[in-house]
Amino acid sequence: MPRHLLAGFSALSLLVLLGSAQAGDALNLPTPEQRQAFRRPNVVPSPADNPTTPEKVALGRALFFDRRLSASGQLSCAACHNPSLSWQDGLPTGIGHMGARLPRRTPSVLDIAWTEPLFWDGRAATLEEQAKGPLSGAAEMNMAPARLQAQVRADPAYVRSFKAAFPGQPIDVDTIAKALAAFERTVVSGQAPFDRWLAGDPTAISPAAQRGFVLFTGKASCAQCHSSWRFTDDGFRDIGLADADPGRGKIVPGLPILDHAFKTPSLRNVAERAPYMHDGSLATLEAVVDHYDHEFVRRPSLAVQMKLLGLTREERADLVDFMRTLSSDDPPAAPTKRPTG
Amino acid sequence: MMAPMTKRLIIAAALTACACGAAFAAAVVTVDQKGIAFSVTSLTVPKGGFVRFTNSDVTAHNITITGRGGMVNGGLQQPGQVFKAPFMQPGVYQVTCGIHPKMKLSVVVK
Repeated sequence: MPRHLLAGFSALSLLVLLGSAQAGDALNLPTPEQRQAFRRPNVVPSPADNPTTPEKVALGRALFFDRRLSASGQLSCAACHNPSLSWQDGLPTGIGHMGARLPRRTPSVLDIAWTEPLFWDGRAATLEEQAKGPLSGAAEMNMAPARLQAQVRADPAYVRSFKAAFPGQPIDVDTIAKALAAFERTVVSGQAPFDRWLAGDPTAISPAAQRGFVLFTGKASCAQCHSSWRFTDDGFRDIGLADADPGRGKIVPGLPILDHAFKTPSLRNVAERAPYMHDGSLATLEAVVDHYDHEFVRRPSLAVQMKLLGLTREERADLVDFMRTLSSDDPPAAPTKRPTG
Repeated sequence: MMAPMTKRLIIAAALTACACGAAFAAAVVTVDQKGIAFSVTSLTVPKGGFVRFTNSDVTAHNITITGRGGMVNGGLQQPGQVFKAPFMQPGVYQVTCGIHPKMKLSVVVK
């Protein structure tokens, strides 16, 4: 056989083998670059002006679960950010003061130490700033700052805890927000089957999920935005949901592509965090994949990453199987009671 | 191939009046955007200098500059495009990406 034909045959054989590996049962291993890109960090960050301490965390935990921090006395932070529901509420959109329905879905606190800016529209630059929003928001906890401070200062247990956490500083909205932020930074997702697979255990996730990862990082283009170990680049985009909410466009006017744009959420524990999207309009991961495949609204602000994907039914199922491997096995955090005097 | 996208910036205070004649001799500092990050977190340019923002990412960015009471919105910057911003007045300016606000750069103009 002529040499050039032999070479061609060899190349063809290699392509066939590679093709088999892509469609095979256990050979879709992550590349070294992917291992690096999706590897979990070892250290939880905290800002220089509010370093995390055990005293702040203990105080913040007590505040987080304290319903007295709301005007109605019925809502704590945990009422919406329920640790048993992956630090969300399981509802399409949140419920605020006196049962009022809020316009957007409750974001999870999970892995929030790495998240900025905060809120679906990114209007808070830091977690400390974010913590003040729902406390005083008329539609949410509706607690005037003066009343909030008086409420906390009247509790001897809180007075002691603040003295330990913030020596020499007053009990005010700023230190309350700092304590809440310090506690929230301890809410970190656990190791998931995907992490074990990434670390080299080829059996940690199913062949279908492995094929889903190949789609996630390839044909389906999910990883263009859902990148990093948290599966988000913290960017803002219009993904073509039909509601009229202007999202980040209201925060950063003058940039048309931010109309209807919302924060790209983390996908850690995503299977436990239905319903989905900023408006809670999609009930299942299958519906989410269908949305990205073909069901989005076309308009000028639509993100450039949104394209007709043409995924087969099997490919869509593989993507869902992959996303289910991002859920950690650790049990939900137990609620903590406020300190007693 | 890079597609130059020098945009005229309109802003009160600091960044207006880009004198084209002065631009020929002006200092130009290049800052790349890659991995959803600027290549540097801070830099100093002389008054009248330019910062040339390149985009080596696979995703679009948006240069937004604030400082001295004003704001410049550089519009959508696709991968491979270049955005050139003049800094005409001394001061400290914050640069971020409207799409990826985690990207932060401080520019000192002297």
